[in-house]
Amino acid sequence: MGQILRSYLRHDRDTGAMRDPANLVSSRARTMWLLLALVQVVVLAGAQVAWWLLDDDGSRVPHVVVAVITGALALTYLAVMPALRYRTHRWEVTDTAVYTQTGWLTRERRIAPISRVQTVDLKRGPVDQLVGLASVTVTTASARGPLAINGLDLATAQSVLDQLTQAAERERGDGT
Amino acid sequence: MSGPDESTEPPVEPVEQIEPPVETVEQIEPPAEPVEQIEPVVEPVAQVEQPEPGEELDPATGLPQIPWRRLSPRMLLVHPVHSLIRFLPALVVIFLARRSSSDSGGQLVELGATVLVVLVGLLHYFTTRFRIWNGQIELRSGLFVRQRLATPADRVRTVDLTSTPYHRILGLSKVVIGTAASGHGAEKIELNALPTAEARTLRDELIHVRSLAAGAALAATPAPGSPGSPAQPGRGRILDAVLADLTGGTAAGIELVRLDPRWVRYAPLTTAGLLSALTIVGFGSQLIRGMSDQFWSQVVDVGQSAASSLGWLVALVVAVGGLTVVAVLAIAGYLLQFWGFRLTRHAGGTLHVSRGLLTTREVSIEEKRLRGVDIGEHLGLRLVGGARLSAIATGLGRADDSGPRSVLVPPAPRSVVLGVADRILGDATALTGPLIGHPIAARRRRVIRATVFPAVLALGAALWAGFGDLPWWPTWVLVGFAALGAPLGLDRYAGLGHLVTPEHLVTRSGTFGRSRAALERDGIIGWVERETFFQRRAGLVSMVATTAAGAKGYVVHDCSGQQALAVMAEINPALIAQFAGDSAPIEQ
Repeated sequence: MGQILRSYLRHDRDTGAMRDPANLVSSRARTMWLLLALVQVVVLAGAQVAWWLLDDDGSRVPHVVVAVITGALALTYLAVMPALRYRTHRWEVTDTAVYTQTGWLTRERRIAPISRVQTVDLKRGPVDQLVGLASVTVTTASARGPLAINGLDLATAQSVLDQLTQAAERERGDGT
Repeated sequence: MSGPDESTEPPVEPVEQIEPPVETVEQIEPPAEPVEQIEPVVEPVAQVEQPEPGEELDPATGLPQIPWRRLSPRMLLVHPVHSLIRFLPALVVIFLARRSSSDSGGQLVELGATVLVVLVGLLHYFTTRFRIWNGQIELRSGLFVRQRLATPADRVRTVDLTSTPYHRILGLSKVVIGTAASGHGAEKIELNALPTAEARTLRDELIHVRSLAAGAALAATPAPGSPGSPAQPGRGRILDAVLADLTGGTAAGIELVRLDPRWVRYAPLTTAGLLSALTIVGFGSQLIRGMSDQFWSQVVDVGQSAASSLGWLVALVVAVGGLTVVAVLAIAGYLLQFWGFRLTRHAGGTLHVSRGLLTTREVSIEEKRLRGVDIGEHLGLRLVGGARLSAIATGLGRADDSGPRSVLVPPAPRSVVLGVADRILGDATALTGPLIGHPIAARRRRVIRATVFPAVLALGAALWAGFGDLPWWPTWVLVGFAALGAPLGLDRYAGLGHLVTPEHLVTRSGTFGRSRAALERDGIIGWVERETFFQRRAGLVSMVATTAAGAKGYVVHDCSGQQALAVMAEINPALIAQFAGDSAPIEQ
């Protein structure tokens, strides 16, 4: 059973396909994802409680059934998702390209040449600041092409920002 | 951080002006001649390129400045009317308030409001001035809110001429100049309104002449290698267009396609036609609801008695009547949008579209911005052998109320559309060549998704009807959808495909809204490869080629991982090669 599960969730590729990006994000990112997921679960639990309080005629059986199901799903989600995300989220910046991989059920890879990069932003949301992380967002001229690397620790994010800025200057210098 | 062409430009700055080092008006004229000779044009190009803001700052005085140009005085007739129409709701409210309060002082308020509105229109006219000077387009407008826009003339991307019926009566056109975006929407300079001839001359100054000069300059510069074999396919297109115009075309450009009234028969089959018909029906139903209930109860009585006696016949008549109304409305919408449709290509490769029945529009698409074409074959069109053509270009903006701005050929016979597309692209394989099919697993996915979803809903509806109070007809409807699912899924799979030609990436997908898009390889910026949970089980991925033009990303649905890699490797080999090989095992 574990084998089957792992084969569903592992991202196997045929030989000759692109390899994964080389770098993992910070291990503290798991905490960040856990916190964000907790918020979602709390909101869902709140909705359940509201339903319980508002709908107090009739039997309690549907409430209990739904609560048990969502509780089980939520616990599985909280236990499994951060670890899976941590295994999947990867990034790599070379002299000519930015390459990221994200997602835990749906896996998405994005690649963009540095010569076409328009802006590079470093952002820190409230949870980021709590855990000491940052995210780097790279935009191109295409609205469908921004790349985001979430969950980097601050020092790494800063160095990625510098690396990208320098590489972009270099590419443009060659381009004229 | 700025990037290539259509990316970050220095934002349009309010310019506190600077003495002009050169007189741009004289320089723009000579390029109009060079239809005969190519060499002399090289100079005007150099001169047009020269003036850069700040670079040629010549402190010497006495250099004559170019006078500011004004909008047409006939606009004084148009603008107040437009302002009145815009403020009509507010005026109506004031009028109604006056009626209800029977206060004679209200009359003054109403008069004052009207006068104010007219004054605002006049103010706009008197304070708007523009000129092209020093390689820039400058616009000054407003009295209280002074707005000075200055944007380099060679950053112009679109020049559209629009004429509402008011404008046409007075011989005016509204000019909207769109410039290169700084990533978040283009700056637009609006001149409302100029005499149509002057507007056309302005457009030619800004777009066609520049393209011609650029194209001729490319033709004149010695290419590396043999002359006459341009290094890049894009330049070859410009070269061909220039040469064609030298030999055969007129100054007005070569006409590629013109509306044939018989194409109206495609109108009811397009989604746009259906949507416009439905909108009108929607408005109509609002009206209907407003009518008195007695009227409707009588109608319902008549209808019920007729239905009980004739039944199916009545339903049939109603259905046919409804379809006819929809068809007529769609045809009306088609004619409103596309009457007088003309697509021409000018020297330098600029495509020029003019169309419209009541409100005429002229849109110019520069060669440089054109990144491919999209052949749309919606289900209805496909069944009768029709198609439509759209341009994949940067900076065209959203569709507005007069139809999408990227239309190159309205719904028309497929042969016409393919002919025009071939003349524009020059890549027959990309347009009609066979595409690489996607794995069989994709077919299974399509069919399952098309049948399972309605089948599950049908089951749910059946349970609800059996144990609850839902009537039975939703179940039958959903069963019908599920039955249709298999052929639709197969059709959808047959529509999937992709191809890489030396110049283009071709993608095709869809069944209700099928389109075959040929995107220039140079226009592709990056790649996105997605794999959902179910796709991973089937060994499929979806790949998006991101670009700055058109839909911003063109998707290859449900292909195999190897096919996706092959496409990416062929188009960006250096980029992909650095990521080849096996993934490193995960440490920790």
